[in-house]
Amino acid sequence: MSPRTHGGPSYVSIWVWLVVLVFGGLAVAYLPMTRGTVLLLVFEIALVKATLVARYYMHLRGEEPLIYAIAGVPVLLAIGMVLTLVPDIVFGK
Amino acid sequence: MTAPLKEAGVIRRSDDIAMGEPTGLSRGKLGIWWFLASEVMVFGGLIGSYVLARIAAGGWEEAAAHVNTRIGAINTLILVTSSLTVVEAFGAVERRDRARAAGFLLVTVLLGCAFLGIKAYEYATEISHGFLPSSGPFWSFYYVMTGLHGLHVLAGIVVNAGLFGMAAAARHWPAVSHRVELAGLYWHFVDVVWIFLFPLLYLT
Repeated sequence: MSPRTHGGPSYVSIWVWLVVLVFGGLAVAYLPMTRGTVLLLVFEIALVKATLVARYYMHLRGEEPLIYAIAGVPVLLAIGMVLTLVPDIVFGK
Repeated sequence: MTAPLKEAGVIRRSDDIAMGEPTGLSRGKLGIWWFLASEVMVFGGLIGSYVLARIAAGGWEEAAAHVNTRIGAINTLILVTSSLTVVEAFGAVERRDRARAAGFLLVTVLLGCAFLGIKAYEYATEISHGFLPSSGPFWSFYYVMTGLHGLHVLAGIVVNAGLFGMAAAARHWPAVSHRVELAGLYWHFVDVVWIFLFPLLYLT
């Protein structure tokens, strides 16, 4: 019997979801949709997978606020870098 | 006062270490999260640069079509599975089950080796078809991002192999518990990075 993720679903059930999402991402990439829609869905699926790993395997669920601050600030900075430069890249051609 | 609770397994070693710390967190846990934060900046900067360069230049779809999506997907499944085995190792440590902890750590090491072996085969195939880091911007990013990630997997394999050796030897077992948690956090981070590299390089 797989242990539970500190009160949440079992580690194995999270793994099953991750495997399903890997195949889901692959299926979406080959669906007859516009490129923009495919990109949106593929990265939404990646985000869900990353959230599952962080929340249940890294035990971020119920972690101290300090850990959220340490992990969250660089994520925001990296996203901010891209968003800040996008206008130059897209409109500055 | 905490000794009976510790002996009864109510207090974990990591909790014990954290007692008396102003943050309420063990120094090891705080340290690994600071380290992971710096790694977020490294991979975040690299992935952000790739996204921006791809938007700016355009037309990388032709080059990206040459990567082997099937191999990328297999490696994704391997890393996701290794995340399960390393967290199961941590679960076994919490239950003071040394044999299972050692077993899951060994499987994690083997899965990491399988990932690198498949990646090496993929590199060899791509290079034999003439796709080198100098073949264009997509391939430059591809080799830098997957190569840097591969080095992180290698580091994780070394750490987990060391922990496996410690867990297998009974006299080192008391020192293992907290380290498995920290090594696991690092390994999951490596998994999360690949979760984003896979669609960026193989599915778009």
